[in-house]
Amino acid sequence: MTEIQSDKRIALKFTLNGEPVETAAPAGASLTRVLRDTLYRTETKIGCEAGRCGACMVLMNRKPINSCLVMAWQVEGSEIITGSGLEALAVTGTVRQALAEESAFQCGYCAPGFVISLVALLTENPKATRDDLMTALEGNICRCTGYHSILRGAELAATRVANQVETRR
Amino acid sequence: MRILRPDSLGQAVALLAEAGPEARLAAGSTALQAEWSLGKLRPPAIIDISRFKELTGIDQTGSGLRIGANETLSALIASGNVSDVCPLLIDAARRVGAPSIRHRATLGGNIGWRIGCLLPALLALDAELELQTSEGVGTLTLEDWLSAPSETSLITAVRIPRQNPWGHYGYRKIGLRAAFTPSVIAVSGAIITDEGTISAARVAVGGGPVAATRLATIERELVGQDLDRIDQALLGSIITDAISAPGDAFRTERYRKRAGANALVSILSGAASTEVRSGRTIRPAPDSNEPDEIRLSREQGGNRWHIRPDLPAKIAAEFPYLTDVRRADMLVGATLRLDDPHARILSIDTEAADALPGVKAVVTHRDIRGENSFGILFPDQPALCSDKVRYLGDPVAAVAAVDRETAIEALSLIKIEFERLPPVGDPLAALGDGAEAVHDTGNLVDTVQLERGDVDAAFAKSVHVIEDTYVTPRQMHGFMETEGGYAEPTEDGGLAVFAGGQYGVRDRKQLSRILGMPEEKIRVVTSPTGGGFGGKDELTVQPVLALLALKANAPVRMQWTRAESVLAGTKRNPFRIRMRTACDAGGMLLAQEVEVIADSGAYASLSPGVMETASEHACGPYITPNVKTFSRLAYTNNGACGAFRGFGANQMTFAVECQMDRLAAKCGLDPVEIRRRNLRKPGMPGFLGQPVAPSERLEEMLQAAAASPMWQETGGARPGEVLGTGMALIYQGNGLGTIPHDEAATRILLAADGRIEAHFGLDEMGQGLLPSIQAAVADRLGCAREDIRPVVGDTSATPDSGSTTASRGGYVVWKGTELMAPPFEAKLLASAGKLLDRAPESLRITAGGIADAATNSRSPLIGFAELAAKVQPAESLRAEADFAFPKSDYTEGNARFIFAFGVNLAHVAIDRVSGEVRVLDLELHTAAGPVIDLAAYLGQMEGGLVQGLGFALTEDVLIEDGHFLTTNYDNYFMPTVRDAPGRMTSHALEDLDPGDPFGPRGAGEIGINAVTPAIANAVADALGRWPTITPFRPEDILDYCEAAE
Repeated sequence: MTEIQSDKRIALKFTLNGEPVETAAPAGASLTRVLRDTLYRTETKIGCEAGRCGACMVLMNRKPINSCLVMAWQVEGSEIITGSGLEALAVTGTVRQALAEESAFQCGYCAPGFVISLVALLTENPKATRDDLMTALEGNICRCTGYHSILRGAELAATRVANQVETRR
Repeated sequence: MRILRPDSLGQAVALLAEAGPEARLAAGSTALQAEWSLGKLRPPAIIDISRFKELTGIDQTGSGLRIGANETLSALIASGNVSDVCPLLIDAARRVGAPSIRHRATLGGNIGWRIGCLLPALLALDAELELQTSEGVGTLTLEDWLSAPSETSLITAVRIPRQNPWGHYGYRKIGLRAAFTPSVIAVSGAIITDEGTISAARVAVGGGPVAATRLATIERELVGQDLDRIDQALLGSIITDAISAPGDAFRTERYRKRAGANALVSILSGAASTEVRSGRTIRPAPDSNEPDEIRLSREQGGNRWHIRPDLPAKIAAEFPYLTDVRRADMLVGATLRLDDPHARILSIDTEAADALPGVKAVVTHRDIRGENSFGILFPDQPALCSDKVRYLGDPVAAVAAVDRETAIEALSLIKIEFERLPPVGDPLAALGDGAEAVHDTGNLVDTVQLERGDVDAAFAKSVHVIEDTYVTPRQMHGFMETEGGYAEPTEDGGLAVFAGGQYGVRDRKQLSRILGMPEEKIRVVTSPTGGGFGGKDELTVQPVLALLALKANAPVRMQWTRAESVLAGTKRNPFRIRMRTACDAGGMLLAQEVEVIADSGAYASLSPGVMETASEHACGPYITPNVKTFSRLAYTNNGACGAFRGFGANQMTFAVECQMDRLAAKCGLDPVEIRRRNLRKPGMPGFLGQPVAPSERLEEMLQAAAASPMWQETGGARPGEVLGTGMALIYQGNGLGTIPHDEAATRILLAADGRIEAHFGLDEMGQGLLPSIQAAVADRLGCAREDIRPVVGDTSATPDSGSTTASRGGYVVWKGTELMAPPFEAKLLASAGKLLDRAPESLRITAGGIADAATNSRSPLIGFAELAAKVQPAESLRAEADFAFPKSDYTEGNARFIFAFGVNLAHVAIDRVSGEVRVLDLELHTAAGPVIDLAAYLGQMEGGLVQGLGFALTEDVLIEDGHFLTTNYDNYFMPTVRDAPGRMTSHALEDLDPGDPFGPRGAGEIGINAVTPAIANAVADALGRWPTITPFRPEDILDYCEAAE
């Protein structure tokens, strides 16, 4: 059995965008705060700290999760990819390009989270339907766009990813 | 909080027993943390069970399925075994949280939490739990486990029998929006039939505040009945009686029980009626004179569609916001507030906080050298409270420390003695005799009155009168980037403040007054901002940041948490609008009486302007000969209110446009015809009698409405839904009006690197200022967008262009460009001519530089970079402009000169089970002059529409006597992707009258202006009644459904 106090700093080791990271943070601090305030990796945004907006999404072991709902002690040994480290996933370029073409975002503060959700979906399911896209984006709040520009970009990306899969066959 | 990580399940149970009843198990820990974010205290200990392999696995057994407790909800949804054996569980799991939550949340956690939304489904499936206790391993039915007092046991697995192939199963969760929502109530039912007779039934309710339980009396009632002959009304009423559900601030007990019962009836009898009633509103005659609009989209836009310059970096998560700046020398600020919305401060003692190691500055009102007050219209708001606290967001003290933890600890060491005062919660009561005064000046902030004609006489001779009270919500701006930034002392003894805002020059003026520091010594940077919508127009974090940075003599950063933003940030003023409107038999308006009570919250900010704007839109674009308006704005302790997109016009438009449809129904007219009969004519004076700009396009918008295919739409309904279609006209004043100072200065120059810099003191908040500047300047000069470098939002670099509010930014960009382009072009061509030894008239500007005017060649004779290198200094090639936003000379009241026009159509589906309104289709036609940048314009339209949809259906910050029931995004419901309309189309009519010198009209607010009444009118088309309280209460809609049947 091990015991940690949530307000005590612990040593942390994990992989961040492919690079090993060793740092220290209070055990109970959120991964969002560790990224932004300890590691100065502010490409991960902070929206509600309650897991209700998706601005802070990262890939944790290749699944999109709310980094504000992961405490530092839970990060040990995991693989974290932020919105600026997505090049490691093959569909990323296609997703980013399609979103740009459709002018998907305005203020853009939600964009890293949306891109993470879409990249995760299209990596797992290259033949995603519109309904799959909507389900994947249910946890990402955007206040500027009304979502349709994002959906248009997502559908464009999904079509291109599906075509790429088809072409490779 | 202790985090305990046991080595075995047995040890986990032992620890649970030792650690006491408040200790909690943690696997995905999503629910735990959601509770903490809602203010629940962290438990003394959590026990991590996430690593145990024995808690995983989804395996088929002889009779069904065994699912390890640590399997995530995502794993359940993806599991072929679950889909094969108990697909109902997948239906239920899809409605829990969102994918990112479901990747962490576990089945065991959803059950162990005891309020999880899966419980009704698991009860209907007759699930059994495997438990590890201190005694060993055992099993218990879920039903028994829920009713047994909690003991120190750990759920290790869930056993679920295979769904009966002859069974009928259903699950329904009713929430507070379409997706990613807590339960209002969740229900589930399973019925097994034997030759049409019900042989077994399991019926369960739960979700959120509703205790998860089976409804045994209903189950007994059902067994033996013929499935096809169930008396639905009777079943509904006995289920309603059987459900025990509490009411809360979001939904009443009555609603929960009714909606839950309706849902169960439709599951159990399988008989959601598919009858679709619609078309109570008379359809307008199709109009063949459709206006010559463009459909706004990438496909239709062709070469007018551009990728905005800041977008690739935003998408790649490489775009730096002002709240993203981190430097090792930066301190972190934190703000102290009282837990009481109305209190007299007796003393503030910061000694212990000052002494805490790591604290670099503690500030209170005693540190303010200037005047301790700010406010856009008049300064009634303290930077740091000295004598009184007037709302929960009021700051009393602030700390700058080496890190956030230290700053927060220091706040807890500050001692404030205070005396509670009675909270003022109701704006009308606030104006009554004997009400506690929020300010010494009394609670009446402002009154606006207008009387024209003889209203009483007109009402007396009228044929139809509609009177109702329309209530609008305390909508939250909900920008994704909360208020924040940093401030740092400068070498010259001044200060630089970097914080999202909407008018840096005014922020500087307000800061100068507070700090007692000359404006010239303050630099304010306000761009880029992660969303504004009016909510960053007033000062937010800037005063505290400035005071901390000056006192600590070091850079300080601070960003409000969302919880702080909810408390302290301004909100939309809630309105109660009593409107009484009369017409004759032919639908001609005769008179209107309007009485408004608006909540200002604790301070004025721009609220008087909001109320005044609302009053200016009191009759919409309709000729109303006899009018009386009486609007009052009251101080309360309900948060703080101020500017929000629409600025009072959209509140009033809701009332006016519903009144028009209601009168049309009385007169037997269609919605287009009654509007046409009463429509103001181009060139008429405005509502206050003021002159207005040409190029009115209201008639064209009515044509577009009449031509819309939406009136004939019949598709899209799910079983049990009723369809309706409605419209509303859009009429939105632009600019600040005749009375406020409304001017702009702009600049353009050739930078040393050869880019053409366009300097506008406006802010990029997401609306598309940067692409608009590039578009306007490049189109006018004839160069490429890439040649233009917009410089915005920095008082040290940009001229005073006025505020980025009131739909005025687009005009400023266009007009500044119109004025600056000719002299700038002349200077460029003259300089190029000199270098090329050619006459300037033989040259023209092209992409990348200066070309031969006589040819179509796109390759420049001299590039901008070369030109910049050869002209010393390049910046001498510049032009400036200084102009006023168009106004009239009318000054008896504050009146708009420029208006933008449009029409909204909405097609909705109303769920007769839950009373929820689903917007299937929104159509928007706009007439706001030439579109500067197509993609940015479309973005403003669609964003406004969905923000308006939230206003109509889901959004309201709930406050009771100054205390917030809404605290974060857990309990404030902005639309998700599932709430957005299924279809949304936007059009623009771009033409102006010949000789109209006023260019593009504002695009920022037309999208939100009339969505709410269009949806309300669509509801009435379906049900015959108009919802008047926004966000529409599903309970009211259910009442309308019943009345309609």
